[in-house]
Amino acid sequence: MPAGADAKKLEGRSPGQLMWIRFKRDRTGVISGCVVLFFFLIAALAPVISKLYGKDPYTLYARKDFDLLDDYGLPSGPNGGISGDFWFGVEPGLGRDVFTQLLYGMRTTLYMALLITIVTVVTGVIIGLIGGYAGGRTDYWLGRITDFFMSFPSQLFMIAVTPVVVSLFVGRNEEVPTYIRAFSIIAVLWFLGWMGMSRLIRGVTLSLREREYVEAARVAGASRWRILRKELLPNVVTPILVQGTYLLPGTMLSVAFLSYVGVGFTEPTPDWGRMFAKAGHIYENAPTYMFFPGVAMVIFVVAFNLFGDSVRDAFDPKSGR
Amino acid sequence: MNPIRSRTTRAIAVAFVAGSLALTGCSEGSKDKKDDKTVGQENAKEQQEALTFATAEESTGPAEPVKGAQQGGTLTVYSQDDVSHLDPGQIYVSDAGLLSTILHRGLTANRVNNDGTKQVAGDLATDTGLTEDGGKTWKYTLKDGITDEDGDPITSKDVRHTFERQFAPFITDGPSYIQQWLAGSGTDYRKALPDGPFKGKHLPDTILETPDDKTVIFHLQSAQPDFPQALAMAGYAIVPEKKDTKEKYDKAPKALGPYKIGEYKPGKSLTLVKNDKWDPATDSVRRQMVDKFYIEFNHDPGDIDKHIMSDRGVDQAAIAFTGGIDTSNVPTVTKDKAMMARTIQGYQPYVWQLNMNMDRIKDKKVRDAITYAIPNGELVRIDGGSYGGEIAGGLLAPTLPGFEAKYDPFNKLKKPTGDIEKAKQLLKEAGKVGMELKYAYANTPIRQEQAVVIENALTEAGFKVSKQEKDQATWYEQMGKIKNGLDLYMTGWGQDWASPGTVIPPSYDGTQIQDGASNYSHINDPKVNSEIKRISAITDPAKASDEWNKLHHYIVEQVNPAVPLYFTKQFMIQGSKVGGAEYNSFTSYYDWNKLYVKK
Repeated sequence: MPAGADAKKLEGRSPGQLMWIRFKRDRTGVISGCVVLFFFLIAALAPVISKLYGKDPYTLYARKDFDLLDDYGLPSGPNGGISGDFWFGVEPGLGRDVFTQLLYGMRTTLYMALLITIVTVVTGVIIGLIGGYAGGRTDYWLGRITDFFMSFPSQLFMIAVTPVVVSLFVGRNEEVPTYIRAFSIIAVLWFLGWMGMSRLIRGVTLSLREREYVEAARVAGASRWRILRKELLPNVVTPILVQGTYLLPGTMLSVAFLSYVGVGFTEPTPDWGRMFAKAGHIYENAPTYMFFPGVAMVIFVVAFNLFGDSVRDAFDPKSGR
Repeated sequence: MNPIRSRTTRAIAVAFVAGSLALTGCSEGSKDKKDDKTVGQENAKEQQEALTFATAEESTGPAEPVKGAQQGGTLTVYSQDDVSHLDPGQIYVSDAGLLSTILHRGLTANRVNNDGTKQVAGDLATDTGLTEDGGKTWKYTLKDGITDEDGDPITSKDVRHTFERQFAPFITDGPSYIQQWLAGSGTDYRKALPDGPFKGKHLPDTILETPDDKTVIFHLQSAQPDFPQALAMAGYAIVPEKKDTKEKYDKAPKALGPYKIGEYKPGKSLTLVKNDKWDPATDSVRRQMVDKFYIEFNHDPGDIDKHIMSDRGVDQAAIAFTGGIDTSNVPTVTKDKAMMARTIQGYQPYVWQLNMNMDRIKDKKVRDAITYAIPNGELVRIDGGSYGGEIAGGLLAPTLPGFEAKYDPFNKLKKPTGDIEKAKQLLKEAGKVGMELKYAYANTPIRQEQAVVIENALTEAGFKVSKQEKDQATWYEQMGKIKNGLDLYMTGWGQDWASPGTVIPPSYDGTQIQDGASNYSHINDPKVNSEIKRISAITDPAKASDEWNKLHHYIVEQVNPAVPLYFTKQFMIQGSKVGGAEYNSFTSYYDWNKLYVKK
């Protein structure tokens, strides 16, 4: 047997490579992945697009052209004022450009969701790993703390606490800077977002802890830190990625929800959730204003969930649907 | 009138995205923009017509019949909130004021005649009052046959009691005009009778005299030609002495009017039923056509509109209590002729203004620059368009006598998007380019959007704006603090009766600056202060009104404490079986004394 020919066949593949190969075969996964990527791309490139398009989300175009809106503050043109100048129409009331509003709004929401997902995942993984590996009393208390946080009614808590957090940082008669708002939203969603991840990782770690290779590492005198980092962490990457991709669209909806109920970003920061809040109030008279943000969000959330399913399937084909 | 209660934020309905998308589709544009605005303007003209005093003959009942009126039926009334007060002494805010027009009676009352003329008529009194010294002493004689809902006659003792209880510590929310005229300005009047009449003490005869069972004589400290109008306020309706339960009276008052309280479930509903002890022969203002008013609380504004717009079942005989048509429903209603036929409109007495805190913005050029920069047209558009309001050129409302529709010193009417160039130039002259302004706004969707427009315009003009969101529920409390630390904030104010004398002194008198006072801009101009004192003493209403208008020009042009923003309008819809629906400019709602249910 010629050595070269078979050596290729026997080439070892890392779990990552296997996953990638499986993922590429899944057409739904690839398409939804592309959609998700597209969303992140246009969000990242919003300033460039806005420059090419020649409009920005802050200018009140009705100030220059008073007749852009009618007497009720609704767009004068048909279909919400869609025209060559305003691709997605004009915002009722203020007369801003809906297209750039949506681009920047998505940008705000996606960036926030991404940041929050990262910090919650990191927190969850750390707490889960420690609890699962250490066991005993540490595990017991970390578990009770996790339970405690889980028992909070999260949406009510978010609505009630976000303004309080904001006011902690800002004096009575000062304008609230946008970064403080962003920080508060991240803090609140992080505070009540890490428990699911932590539980999952703890469970996985618990089963890995007794495996031979961990035992071997322990016998070989590896430090706790090394075992956690080099032996356990690489083996929990799969659940982290799967759970992370599920977490992100959910977080995005939470961010939008906070703005929707009025405790998220305020004017003039463009925001997806606030567009909904406004659209929901005036949809009978200005349905177009609901259309674009709505379609965009539905597509994004559906695509991301499908993408998450595909990622899970690719990592763990046995649990297939 | 107390500060305007602005449209409360509506509860957030969680509209599921995908579900709502099904409702969206292509929509028509609205190029047909020129709407029928003339109705409102005619109405304003009517509202400016001076009020006349009805003679004794005109003050005797019964009231002239409403054309086509029918008897019986239940009128359903939808309301967002429970009523604030039922005790007349506590009534100042307009919702309770509206109820009191059918529940309570005072010495005088306001009425709109069938021909549209407005009058103050004698109500419990035979006429609007006799004065022989130019308004310092007022004498009233009670009509015969007036009783409360239990059938007990009302005498001058009850009238005296009504005014004396206004001095008691538990009466906090009512008007204080008459108490001040009788016993001293500010809150000093309370010293005249610290416990009210409840511990056996009474006001001396030199202040309030009741020589016999039918006669009441008021001795004021200075001449007050508007006394009969003040008496017509809901706050001065009669509380029978023997029935007064002090604090408890607020939940169960005794009615003198054509309706009494049938059942009151606080926070839920209020039923008003016919008061059979009420004698139409004694009343020239009220009528008793509907059997029952059923007022249901806790309705969302949009929900009230939907009920009445649909016009089915009980909603055919339904009206809104105090809520106008929600901004989001205005286009739907105005585009539908059949629905438009079921609406009433008219000017409310309120003017929205953007106060410039004069303790902090001392340079008039800067204030002028701000005034020029503000885009009134856009602000009105956000708050309901031409059915919700109208750009204000000055600070006095169209409902006041002598209103000048063309008065426009800052080109507000000509330039609805503001005059940025002029503002820039003025700011440069003042040498304050880049000046920081702290702008506060209430956290409701409408105010948020208006804040964006205001910030945008002021930034364009060369200011640096720092915006602050404040709680809507305590808005006036926060703005009423002298050291509020803010530069710009919007407030609304309306007249108590058709005289600038109920607008200019409370809003622009520098001697009244204190925490909680309504001089929100903290204007303290010696000329304005002395003019207010001088004009308040003028007894001829026409002359006084002229002088007030001159002072108004001086305030707007020479001092400029506040940017005039817009006048508000009322626009309400009723069910198809509601008869006699008419806008009443005294209450700025339906005239409940003319409503009937069509069979």
